[in-house]
Amino acid sequence: MDSQEWQGAAYKGSKKYTQQDVTTANATGFGAATDDYMERGIDLNEQLIKNKPATFFFRMNSHAMTGAGIYPGDILIVDRSIRASNQKIVVAILNGELLIRRYTDTGVKKLLSAENKKCADIEIDPLASFAVWGVVIYCIHATL
Amino acid sequence: MGRGDILYSRYFIILDMIGIVDCNSFYCSCERLFKPDLLHKPVVVLSNNDGCIISRSDEAKIVGIEMGSPFFMQKKNLEKNGVTTFSSNYHLYGDLSWRVMETLRTMLPEGCVEVYSVDESFIDLAHIEPAALQSFTVSLKTIIEQWTGISVSIGVAPTKALSKVANKLAKKNKQITGCVLILNTEKKITQALQKTPIGDVWGIGYQYAKKLSCYGINTAYDLTLRTENWAHQELGGVVGARLFRELKGFPCIDMQSERVTKHMIATTRMFGNPVTTLTQLEEAVATYMARAAEKLRRQHAAARGITVLIVPKQEVKGSYYRHGPTKTASIRLPVASALTNELVKPALELVRSLFEAGKTYKKAGVILSDIVPESVIQGNLFVATPICGEKLAKGRALMEAVDNINFSMRGDILKFAASGTTRNWKMRQEMRSPRYTTRWEELPLLK
Repeated sequence: MDSQEWQGAAYKGSKKYTQQDVTTANATGFGAATDDYMERGIDLNEQLIKNKPATFFFRMNSHAMTGAGIYPGDILIVDRSIRASNQKIVVAILNGELLIRRYTDTGVKKLLSAENKKCADIEIDPLASFAVWGVVIYCIHATL
Repeated sequence: MGRGDILYSRYFIILDMIGIVDCNSFYCSCERLFKPDLLHKPVVVLSNNDGCIISRSDEAKIVGIEMGSPFFMQKKNLEKNGVTTFSSNYHLYGDLSWRVMETLRTMLPEGCVEVYSVDESFIDLAHIEPAALQSFTVSLKTIIEQWTGISVSIGVAPTKALSKVANKLAKKNKQITGCVLILNTEKKITQALQKTPIGDVWGIGYQYAKKLSCYGINTAYDLTLRTENWAHQELGGVVGARLFRELKGFPCIDMQSERVTKHMIATTRMFGNPVTTLTQLEEAVATYMARAAEKLRRQHAAARGITVLIVPKQEVKGSYYRHGPTKTASIRLPVASALTNELVKPALELVRSLFEAGKTYKKAGVILSDIVPESVIQGNLFVATPICGEKLAKGRALMEAVDNINFSMRGDILKFAASGTTRNWKMRQEMRSPRYTTRWEELPLLK
């Protein structure tokens, strides 16, 4: 496929880095001491994406999770390959609607709770159509 | 010992198996991923330009929506049955297709995945213990669904053609098979072939199916009762003989490494609105050529052959319209090229030669052929090469800059003036969903 060169399962960053890119090295190979310590710059993908084919992005569009530090407009990184366990923040499908909530499973009952006093917790009716879409692993929040 | 030898012996255990992973109603599944309210509801996806129905959910199949039928003819039927209709969203489907294939590549050793189409992949399962085959295949299916949200069917058998048979049966009997079917004994293979109508066999189209039924061949099993020579004679020579052997359990179609270099590149589209002027046709051809040239450069190749095709609208009896005969013209360049400007010029000359005033056009396209790797472009002794040396390097640098900008900005941000600016011939996509997975400004929203 055309895209293979730049997309791998785990993001590996660019390996196309040569000595020619080290600008201070001269023809003799001697240069500034920093040359020996040159390396690839920081790549956010390495930190934020664990499993690329299972990672999806969403945008927060409500105040329901402000208590968890998630505000309207924030970007949410969701990994579908992580198991939804107790107390994780998840994207849930409840009666055909996508919701972001904190997930509680006590064994007796399941809860989707908002982190905002104005929003009530939702106890999941065993008859309701419910599924976890994915687990939220990061929230990108602009501070400006 | 090859796969075939093992099958030959009566008491065999088949060791080397091939699977095909096929996404269920792929385009519909993609649309549903971000619209969970449509789960278990009828959904269809239309082709380019909202022409025909090209993907149907199971629920849409049940209410009798036909595959490939024109949208305008089905409009009432769709409304009556409450079917949700989408224009095709190839940005979304392409991204999810990559995710499914990448998941397979993660789960299997290198070289064991052959992407066959946007929603199908052959997988080599030779390394899996026969006893573990069922559980491995089921876990593969589960993981694909978990990671990507796309449900798949998997057919497993000793050959590619048989794996296709297995897949079809798995899909037809979802409740029983759970979308996974493994044909690993002669008995199971025979039963499967008996249940497979001949028209469902890989590579047997409508015409061949009709012809074969005249010979009393109605199932895949009937075909295997004939001889290889017969298949060679009646089913298009080597291809037919190969299919025959594959159905008998002898692998003849090997796993292919992914085709990196394409031998032809075609970009053709229907117009959103019928086109009557030469200027509009020129714009469209220049745009398609720019797109084809970009694909060409992405595989580091150059092309010598250019074909332009246009399809006029033809009036048949009163108000009915249909496609007229396609008109084409070709040219062979003196030297292979990958530079948009060098390819657009001859393409425009071709379209001018084809254009007839007074006619209405429905579709146009360009095809690049005679494709060679960029590194081995041969000069032509008798032609002063139009661009060489420094000039060629400059041309390539320009193309790279254009491609980089268009790639990072997503879309045709930089284009040649010949492509036009109004583009009122552009595709119609009135019901397209957001490009959820490829655009920041179209991310799905959460409450």
